[in-house]
Amino acid sequence: MPPGGLGQSIAPDSFLRRVDPRTKIALSLAASAAVGIPLRPLAFFGACFVGLLAGAGLARQAAAQLWRARLWFAVLFLLDWTFVGVDFAVLITLRLALLAAAFILVFATTTPDELRVAGERLGLPPRLAFAFATAFRSLALLEREWQGILEAQKARDIVGMQSLEKPHWWLRRDDFTSAAALVVPAIVLAAQRAWSISEAAAARGFESPLRRSYRTLRLGALDHVLLVATVVVLGGSILLR
Amino acid sequence: MRPLLEADQAAFCYPGRDSAVGPFSLSADSGELHHVNGPSGCGKSTLARMLTGLIPHLYRGALTGEVRVDGQRAADIPLWQLSARVGFVGQNPAAQLLATTVRDEVLFGLENLGLSNVEMRRRLDTTLATFGLRELENRDPRTLSGGEQQKLVLAAITARRPQVIVFDEVLSMLDAASARAVAQHVERLRRDGTGVVAFEHRPALKTWYQDAHCHTLANVPPAESPLPDLPQQIAPFQVRVAGVEVTLGSQRALEDIDLSLKGGQVIALVGANGAGKTTLLRALAGLQRHSGHIHDGTGARPRLGLCFQNPDQQIFNPSVRQEILFGNARIDAARYRCVVELLGLVPYENTPPLLLSEGEKKRLGLAILLMRPGLRGLCLDEPTLGQDGDHRRRIGRIVRHLAGAGYLCVVATHDLEWAAEWCDEFVVLHAGKIAEHQQSTTLHRPVAKEPECHLAV
Repeated sequence: MPPGGLGQSIAPDSFLRRVDPRTKIALSLAASAAVGIPLRPLAFFGACFVGLLAGAGLARQAAAQLWRARLWFAVLFLLDWTFVGVDFAVLITLRLALLAAAFILVFATTTPDELRVAGERLGLPPRLAFAFATAFRSLALLEREWQGILEAQKARDIVGMQSLEKPHWWLRRDDFTSAAALVVPAIVLAAQRAWSISEAAAARGFESPLRRSYRTLRLGALDHVLLVATVVVLGGSILLR
Repeated sequence: MRPLLEADQAAFCYPGRDSAVGPFSLSADSGELHHVNGPSGCGKSTLARMLTGLIPHLYRGALTGEVRVDGQRAADIPLWQLSARVGFVGQNPAAQLLATTVRDEVLFGLENLGLSNVEMRRRLDTTLATFGLRELENRDPRTLSGGEQQKLVLAAITARRPQVIVFDEVLSMLDAASARAVAQHVERLRRDGTGVVAFEHRPALKTWYQDAHCHTLANVPPAESPLPDLPQQIAPFQVRVAGVEVTLGSQRALEDIDLSLKGGQVIALVGANGAGKTTLLRALAGLQRHSGHIHDGTGARPRLGLCFQNPDQQIFNPSVRQEILFGNARIDAARYRCVVELLGLVPYENTPPLLLSEGEKKRLGLAILLMRPGLRGLCLDEPTLGQDGDHRRRIGRIVRHLAGAGYLCVVATHDLEWAAEWCDEFVVLHAGKIAEHQQSTTLHRPVAKEPECHLAV
């Protein structure tokens, strides 16, 4: 599986594919709650979490996800180090990295359709569950569309478009023009897409009160093991905080 | 007896518009085929949405007249109930995909009928088998070809067993072979007793609608005034494409492409989806990294502009005039005037580009390119896609006119009929390689005989 952004690829061979999406959501929420514990237990928890990711075959995906945010991590680390101290900088960076990686457990091993069903079973209104799953599914499309717009505007020789591809720290007047040239078509295309999806869903009776899902969710032995781990992580994070 | 679907002087006016679409009347019953023809922008899509109840349930505006389903006013029936009786398949298949596997795509509509799992499974199996989608059951619909996607959307609607299905130009974005396959499924549905209302202007399909009830919407063909000449002629030049290869990921998209082109020619790039047409256009326009060489006689890279398939990717200014002139440091007023006249954009100079029709947006994309200084050629990606006969002819005239001014025009197209009429040479691509390179005249006869033929490559 090539490493990609959220919603772009599903790890087909991961053992987490066999886990109920609701369990994965609970585990990810517990992992994101655990980032508030002090540095020493956090480092231990972080190591366990990395082990889980590696065992689930998601290490590359997680690394790619963190690599994308490297600039933000670097800036925050430097700011924290400068104004508070190195311990604080390490703690905050580690927390943010764990937070960024926590939901990879769900997003890299669950299809949007599975997410939709899980959302409905967790009591979300079908409309909301569908909107959430569709937004998740559209992330990859939006990224592709963004590249298309970038290329289309480059083809027009719009001044400053090249500079957007190589980020810089200072803002120039051209950057505002370039941003408009990208953002306006992106908004228009996203709105068009959203409308098409609403129309297609309505044409297949989406608002029906008779709706019942074909897919059934059932908790297996692996789910029970992971749910126990979730409770342990949650309890630990409350006690250690 | 009451007809299944009936439109009685139905008309719709969008908010902020002066004129309404319609009035329109039609009466469709099971097993009947209604073919509604009309030029681009005449309101076919609006009428299709009125018949399916999407208007007025999803759209705001003023609806007059009536649409009735089994004698009941469509506006009074909840959309989820209406959609179980009247199906709708739209123009762009990719925009109608809702799930991440072919199986889930078909199931989505069945789940909304409240059927038992056994019945859903039965209908799923039957539908996948009927539409030849069994092998693709676990595939992501986004990875399918346009034809397969449209077949899938049709399958997803058919599985719900509506009494009538309304098709809004479902064939217009498909290549000839895919269009034929989808049309055969539509024909089978009709034989099985489903009513079909097809909004379609693809000319070559007229023969398939011979026994249909035909309806033609108002058609005002544009006046064909002589096209103005651009201020400067392009000096004769050549483009040499030598050993061009492109690899996308692990896939070889173009292989060993050798071409010799010159200013004043109109070249058609044809071939099935995925053959490499768009990649070659992007390479010619300097937007695609490649090995090999693309140069003019002097060894320099020729300046060729690319006109994208989806013009919405480029539009962001508040008026057509500003859109065309954007980024031009020195405004050449004479050239601008000439370009807007040539492309028929004079009435829209102060119109927001997003309000233009698809055909007008495509011409706007061309206008943006023509204002670029030093441009010697144009690469056009599917310029006639989804366009009616008049718009296709208009694009043809413009392309020929530009070639007359010395521009090299390279057109990637599925529209063989159009290409046979307006292009000088055909380059047939297959799996990233040039399968044939022929003069138009040699392809003209077989193409004219059977316009929807699929090139045997």
